Amino acid sequence: MKVIGFVCDWAVSTEGLVDARGELRAYPGVHIVRIPCSGFMRPDWLEESLRAGADGAFVTGCPYGDCLNREGNYLMRDRMEQLARRLQRRRVDPGRVAMFAHGLHDREAFLAQVGAFLRRLESLPRPAARPVRPAVGAAAGEAAE
Amino acid sequence: MYRRALTWLLRQTVKLDVYINRIYPSDWNPLYYTGGLAHFFLFVLVLSGILLFFYYVASLDGAYASIRYLSEAVPYGFLLRGLHRYAADGFMVAVLLHLFRNWFTDRYLFARDGPWISGMFLLILGGFVGVNGYQLVWDQRAQAVTEIFVAILGALPLAGPALVRLFLGSEGISAAMLPRILFLHVGVASFLYVLLWWHYVRLRHPKIWPPATWVLLLLGVLVLLSALPGTRPTAGVPAQPGVRVTSYPLDVFFLLPFWLASYLPPGLVGAGLAGVLLLGYIIPYLRREDESRMGPRHAGVAQVIDGNCTGCELCYYDCPYDAIVMVPSPHPGLTKAAANRKLLAVVIDSRCVECGICVGACPFQALELPRFLEADLRRRIAEAVGAQAPA
Repeated sequence: MKVIGFVCDWAVSTEGLVDARGELRAYPGVHIVRIPCSGFMRPDWLEESLRAGADGAFVTGCPYGDCLNREGNYLMRDRMEQLARRLQRRRVDPGRVAMFAHGLHDREAFLAQVGAFLRRLESLPRPAARPVRPAVGAAAGEAAE
Repeated sequence: MYRRALTWLLRQTVKLDVYINRIYPSDWNPLYYTGGLAHFFLFVLVLSGILLFFYYVASLDGAYASIRYLSEAVPYGFLLRGLHRYAADGFMVAVLLHLFRNWFTDRYLFARDGPWISGMFLLILGGFVGVNGYQLVWDQRAQAVTEIFVAILGALPLAGPALVRLFLGSEGISAAMLPRILFLHVGVASFLYVLLWWHYVRLRHPKIWPPATWVLLLLGVLVLLSALPGTRPTAGVPAQPGVRVTSYPLDVFFLLPFWLASYLPPGLVGAGLAGVLLLGYIIPYLRREDESRMGPRHAGVAQVIDGNCTGCELCYYDCPYDAIVMVPSPHPGLTKAAANRKLLAVVIDSRCVECGICVGACPFQALELPRFLEADLRRRIAEAVGAQAPA
């Protein structure tokens, strides 16, 4: 199971939860990337993660109402809804992306939600074979679809 | 030392939210709305203040009698007076919560110093208006507060005696004083709204009103406090110039410096107060962390990639700090996007807080944070996926 988690650097602290390779100790295979704000995520990047071979991708922001940049997590939540509709049109299961909201200290709740997300991913049908494409520098687009 | 203390305070503040959010849905956490709460109290203050103004007589003989008439003879007059009194305390509590919370959670970083500086002015002038309000009643507390205030003002080097004369309208307390204080009370309170404009001007959707539940609850609390016999504001002893006031009921939110002045020389209290407030203005420029250690939190001011911008305005609508403006596209560009667009997004450096929300908003790869490039993120995605052997 390969999952990429994009975690806002102001949100839940992953210090001590992550090993040297950047993966969660509790769930090997879940790779954590710290980002400036959950609103920084372009939804395309989640889609691209799936395309590149990840089984799932999630974004973690601060609790709703407490975004340091005021609106980042609300905006991201809206964009995730749009992304889910877009993924459906492209025959990708929208259950493979998720948005979480956890504050600095919510480490247990965060891990629990990641665990639940992994179980959900396991229960999803395997994605249909997609053409393998190079991930780095690949033109983001859907020409190959 | 300061930095470590602030990091500790950040952790404790956010930990407090964890507990509060277990009680309410996080959207109702009152600490997420401290600014809105302050604004709500200010609104109550303005409404009740306008009504109080109809009854108040600004003269040494009439002031105390008019307040007494209002609270004893006018139907629900005591309620009006109590609302004004307790909303003022609520305002100060909300403002201080707002200050400390935003201080401890780093909400002063980068371009957010404008709201911070205007907020300090709002705090100082709000406190000043509150003290004025206690003087207007012209009971013994008002007399004591006026004497101490005059002593603090007079202890200022050079300008002191002139300011005292300006404040009192003559040598010593006279009929000229209360109209001046009334003007300061109402005039400076109106000026708070000018400062609020400055406070909000760079915020795209400022949270200026708390959720309805909190509004109703706080209104109820204010009405109860004003109406219950135990907490209802009572008429004190009328002021008698010449008589030395030895004790008066203290309002800790406004009159704390005046309490200190009964133990310390007034000059020292004034200097200490000025020192603390001046330190408040420096807070946004003292960082909790070294810039080099902030990592993605200090990714640099967003940059527009001219050739990719189509002028679609999505970043302009999403930026929470109004840091992006759309200008007429200045030249026929070389790229297809640039040649066909009418508008070009421009980031105003002095307003950008480096959050990258515009990057997420842009579907055309026309925005980048200089120290957190899209290429870096894609490389990390590839590494994350490729780092493991395929199952």
